Amino acid sequence: MKKITVQYGVDSITKQVESGFTFGDLQDSDSIKAALGFGDNTKALVEGIEQDRRTVIPDGATVRLETAANTKA
Amino acid sequence: MEHTEIIIRDNGTLTERIIRERDLSAEADVLEAMTADVTRTIRNAMPIPGWGLAHANVGLSDTIWSVPIDRIPLKARFRVINGVLVPMFASMTDLEMPMVWQAPKDVRLVFVVRTEVSEGCVVVGGNWLFACNKDNNGFRLPLPNLHDECTLCTGQFESSYASAQAGVSASLEQFNQSKWNSDLMTTVAESQKFFRFRPTNETFTTLSIEATDWTTLCAKVSTAILDRAIL
Repeated sequence: MKKITVQYGVDSITKQVESGFTFGDLQDSDSIKAALGFGDNTKALVEGIEQDRRTVIPDGATVRLETAANTKA
Repeated sequence: MEHTEIIIRDNGTLTERIIRERDLSAEADVLEAMTADVTRTIRNAMPIPGWGLAHANVGLSDTIWSVPIDRIPLKARFRVINGVLVPMFASMTDLEMPMVWQAPKDVRLVFVVRTEVSEGCVVVGGNWLFACNKDNNGFRLPLPNLHDECTLCTGQFESSYASAQAGVSASLEQFNQSKWNSDLMTTVAESQKFFRFRPTNETFTTLSIEATDWTTLCAKVSTAILDRAIL
């Protein structure tokens, strides 16, 4: 297990997750979505750098989620 | 400058330590790299006729202008349903009307413009529309022509101006004149609970939002632009 902090807007939560938990797992997590209010279209950043969905989140990391741009319908 | 210290270690060993100091001349590009993310906030930086005062968040390469607004011009197609006038963005047959939606006090709207200076001109790099609640969380309004991260789809638009004031004013004028169509539309149900009007004499009055918490009709957003917006 590891501890990560997730920020979305002015809200944030700190959560214990499995050691192999990736940025994609975070972006798809229904419980974290419900807690922070983000949707399906996000990008994950650590210290301002966008992260790959397949990358495992390091222990103690602070992840900032941002709403991603969509394309014109 | 150089000086020498003699250290007596715990085990009795005498150690000489030479310390040399010199001032480094930090080159401009090093300083710029170190301060790339530093921004400065200037409230009430300039007036925008017809809208109010614009606040500035000045970065190294761009400026984010925030204009708190209290209304949204809604040039769109509308229909009366149960005595209430509501938008029908996807309709091709309903009457097109230039309505103005007055925001209630708890819906804090901010129109945002990003500008850069290029070859002596101020270039508009995008327009955003955010709604914020009392906790300063940002939301995407249930409107078409608005991307998920709240970029406004403004259509064809001149991007170069002689001044930031001209660029911000032109962006708001484009916002004022644009027709709202069904591009980027998800569902009209939230729009029709949010943007409601009642005919009164020869005009229309904005009705209250049909929800106890208006944010339930919107999508919460978090973006780098919103972080720099000023309300």
